Amino acid sequence: MDMSPYRDLFISESREHLRAVSELIVKVEQEAGSRKDMDALFRAAHSLKGMAASMGYGEIAELSHRIEDLMDRVRKEELVFDAGIADLLLEGADLLEVMITDVANEVQAVRDIGDLVQRLVAYRPATGTAGTADGGDVAGGAPSDRQSPADLLHGEPDRHGDASQTVRVRTEVLDHLINITGELITNKHRLMTVGKELASQPLDEATVELSRLLRDLHTEVLLVRLIPFSTIADRFPRVVRDLAKKVGKEVVFEVDGKGIELDRGILEGLSDPLTHILRNAVDHGLELPDERRACGKPLHGRIRLAARREKDQVVVVVEDDGRGMDPALLIASAIEKRLVSPEAGRLMSAREAFMLTCIPGFSTAREVTDVSGRGVGMDAVRSTIQTLGGNLTIESELGKGSRFILRLPLTIAIINVLLVRLARVALAIPITSVQRTVELRRDLIYSRGKQKVFDFDGEALPLLSLNRILGLPHSHAGELLPLFVSELKGRRVGLVVDEFIGQQEIFVKPLGRPLASMKGLGGGAVLGNGEVVFILDVANVL
Amino acid sequence: MGLTVLLVDDSLFMRNMLRGILEGEGYEIVAEAVDGMDAVRKYREFRPDVTTMDIVMPVKNGIEALREIRILDAKACVVMCSAVGQESLVNAAHEAGACDFIIKPFNPERVREVIKRVAGA
Repeated sequence: MDMSPYRDLFISESREHLRAVSELIVKVEQEAGSRKDMDALFRAAHSLKGMAASMGYGEIAELSHRIEDLMDRVRKEELVFDAGIADLLLEGADLLEVMITDVANEVQAVRDIGDLVQRLVAYRPATGTAGTADGGDVAGGAPSDRQSPADLLHGEPDRHGDASQTVRVRTEVLDHLINITGELITNKHRLMTVGKELASQPLDEATVELSRLLRDLHTEVLLVRLIPFSTIADRFPRVVRDLAKKVGKEVVFEVDGKGIELDRGILEGLSDPLTHILRNAVDHGLELPDERRACGKPLHGRIRLAARREKDQVVVVVEDDGRGMDPALLIASAIEKRLVSPEAGRLMSAREAFMLTCIPGFSTAREVTDVSGRGVGMDAVRSTIQTLGGNLTIESELGKGSRFILRLPLTIAIINVLLVRLARVALAIPITSVQRTVELRRDLIYSRGKQKVFDFDGEALPLLSLNRILGLPHSHAGELLPLFVSELKGRRVGLVVDEFIGQQEIFVKPLGRPLASMKGLGGGAVLGNGEVVFILDVANVL
Repeated sequence: MGLTVLLVDDSLFMRNMLRGILEGEGYEIVAEAVDGMDAVRKYREFRPDVTTMDIVMPVKNGIEALREIRILDAKACVVMCSAVGQESLVNAAHEAGACDFIIKPFNPERVREVIKRVAGA
């Protein structure tokens, strides 16, 4: 079996274990060891052994095995974890680190582990306080015939050359960093508010400089959290290929933009929705070869997954050249399932019709296959994307194919919002949920049935009062109605507010109970002036 | 064709390797779990045809997880993955209702053979 694809993972996972081993040895020695820590030590050595054996690194496996055995004796209370054991284990961990570095550097070095293995196997605790005076004590050994890990490094003085360029950092440290940065940005806005009130030029200058530095800090902190799209994209060719084979379709699958980097939190969250969209594309989007031939299309269907950067967003697109979707059919099906009223159906544009596929309970699949029958539906896909602070749009042309477009922020915790005022309450709307802001002249509003509508991009969009939806008194008094265009249940609508306050970056804080369970609230934030605002989860507000 | 498999191992390396071997045989890996507790949860959610279960894991070990899974589903087919020299654990696993055993380090041939056998049963 060709093990080379697993090499990098072996190296990184082994190093993780070794770091844990070193930390645990020290901890157990200092705190007279909890059972839990000793178990963890044993497991780490055990895992290392298993991996090394799989890779065919006999000596690493052997040394780990002996460390594991020694730990097992400690666990079984045949031995007491004393300083002698700690020294031996640390020596072993150091030697293992050297050997793994050899693997990483593709150095074919011979490391003599025999002596250390001997001492691990034969370890006896030093007797009495004079311990080392005991001539037969194996743990003492003869210094001259023992190579320390440092000695083994001769000829490789630049071992740290590569290693010192990178460090491994726990993800929670990164999360703390971004949290602190977020708090700093909130505080900056506070300072700016104070500055405005004081009209002090030196203070203004200082806050401008602070803003610049914070922006740099924010960028750097974000960079640390970024990992390439390939981290998840590399698994998709396999998913597509296997499914295509299963359903008897021929697919050419392309992935572009593997090097595009995204916040790891977002990237991890994207895996399931993308898998689902790709499966849908193979299962429902593409036609069977016969059908394609009949339409004069190439027998091979094409599916393309592409990621690209657009300003402070990442756009991920899945497109296929399959049968596409028929808006009329989608609308008819939604009406039949009573998901929309016939009247609303008549008013729907094609792009709204495509979004119907994301309403819970909607599925046009003629039969439930074992592919689409399992796991998440498009409604879950969409809500996952929204939870990540992104949005989904669908384009499709009958007979030509469909395109699913995911727009995602580069980071989760700090987002751009449109601040609006309703009655006396300020509310934050994520910019990703705002397609456009409009100040609408009242005479451009007209009625269709019972619904007030206005024309926007050639479509008649319903007008809804956000005040009314949220149960706040409304006072839309002026000549111009401030509103923003957003999407509700697959339909574009104009949501009227009392006043636009402006656009701002805010640091999102999750809500505690019971607020967290309220529909339509996506978090909270503190503004620069100390005011607390809720972040509106537009898609779920109705 | 298309038997579903749940992989349980605390090592990503091991999971990836098993995934490589099993996907090559046309099995569908429906989920992966990183410890015994995760395994029980994923089992309940996915009801896989076959589960491969590492024994030495944090939080809850493979044998405890196996017991809980068998309570959930008396017909659960769970193949234990153990290292050489864990005979006592193998016995315990057997008593807890393990279908079969794979010895680590994985021999792809042996893995294929065992999964094929238990899947056919």
